[in-house]
Amino acid sequence: MNITLKVWRQKNAAAPGALVEYTVSGVVPEMSFLEMLDTLNEQLIAKGEDPLAFDSDCREGICGMCNLMIDGQAHGPDKEATTCQLHMRRYKDGDVVTVEPFRAKGFPLVKDLVVDRSAFDRIQAAGGFVSTHTGGAGEANAILIPHDMAEKAMDAASCIGCGACVAACPNASAMLFVAAKVSQYALLPQGQPEREKRVLAMREAMDKEGFGHCTNEYECEAACPKGIKLSNIARLNREFLRATIVSE
Amino acid sequence: MEANANCASKSPCRVFEFLESSIGKKIMVAAAGILLCGFLVTHLAGNLLMYVGGEAFNRYAEALVSNPLLPLAEAGLVGLFLLHIVLSIRATLANRAARPEGYQVYKGKGARTPGSRTMAVTGILILAFVVIHVATLKYQVGGQKGPDLFAHVLGWFANPWYSIFYVLAVGGVGLHLSHGVQSALQTFGVNHPRYTPALRKAGLAFAILIFLGFASLPVYFGFIHKTADACCATMEGGSK
Repeated sequence: MNITLKVWRQKNAAAPGALVEYTVSGVVPEMSFLEMLDTLNEQLIAKGEDPLAFDSDCREGICGMCNLMIDGQAHGPDKEATTCQLHMRRYKDGDVVTVEPFRAKGFPLVKDLVVDRSAFDRIQAAGGFVSTHTGGAGEANAILIPHDMAEKAMDAASCIGCGACVAACPNASAMLFVAAKVSQYALLPQGQPEREKRVLAMREAMDKEGFGHCTNEYECEAACPKGIKLSNIARLNREFLRATIVSE
Repeated sequence: MEANANCASKSPCRVFEFLESSIGKKIMVAAAGILLCGFLVTHLAGNLLMYVGGEAFNRYAEALVSNPLLPLAEAGLVGLFLLHIVLSIRATLANRAARPEGYQVYKGKGARTPGSRTMAVTGILILAFVVIHVATLKYQVGGQKGPDLFAHVLGWFANPWYSIFYVLAVGGVGLHLSHGVQSALQTFGVNHPRYTPALRKAGLAFAILIFLGFASLPVYFGFIHKTADACCATMEGGSK
């Protein structure tokens, strides 16, 4: 089938960008969205044109590297799926699809559809860690954790840092990401010593990167490919309020 | 981290940092909003005395204005409004700045509600309404002058444009609250798998009740119960 793409092309952060129309031929339903873009690039290279820049790595939905705004939806129309898990069987011959980069001040554009998401790394580095001894791994069951708490922490930790929450948020807020990272430690005994310091530092790092405020529009939860829940944002709010009051 | 370390021992600095933070700002907006909801409930309860009769309504208004603590309460109310508005505007400006280049196509996945989409618009509508409302009904700019507040209010409601604007504005209040109440709870960190669905419905029900309560007054006294003479005749013997 043929797919008409309107793709954001921009040489670099300083150059002006615009949507450019391409028709990709030979698309089959089994292709992932990224394989369809690979096909476009093969066709562009054959014509001697500059191929489209876009991010991807594992292509199995666990790395958080692919990040496209497809027809105004982060990672496209599917629920709890990354861009690489979106397949062309979702589309039919002749469909017109608009593809844009994730937009946020905290995610400066590098080229075409590639944005720099190292802001997330800096937020994580500000407090998303626990203090532990180095050397050999300790006995796994030395600290007993109730099953439901372990599950909740694991649900939060399943965040892959793809940035869909920021992209989908009308305010470009990073609260769901920060909430997931704060929660995964706040729920576990290993996270308790740095509990207050962590949330204060990660909140500060988040604001410093220029992400917006959460106004509870809940588009982040709807866009999250890992199903991170809003209850984590409520926990972040509680943790921040608590840390503001009790930390010395 | 450094700022936290510098802030550590100085509590005024801690408060300032809280108010400047994205989360702290939201918590203050939510807190002011919930307190303003409390005001709406008491205001509506007072207004509903109009159905009891002009005498009851005027007696209530008289008791209110003769209370020496009223200016203090009014100052507090103005303070809450200002806090809510100023912090909301600052957050909105920061949110605009957080996405300097917008999307050509932005659809989302259906989580936004009519209330959440229009918070800024309904907020501005409510502010405009409050200014007109206080000017016309409290300070009696325009309309029938005199100590009989009930007659004064009925005079205004007799003007269909005023009544329609009143209904639209309290519709804006309802829409604002349809998002605001449940949003404030989430901002305070109240989110529980068992209670949150019920709390969201309760927030919506509260918004609808506030709208219906306020909107019923101009609809009834402006369009249905069009007997200004009858009302004032019953009242004259009473309040004065």
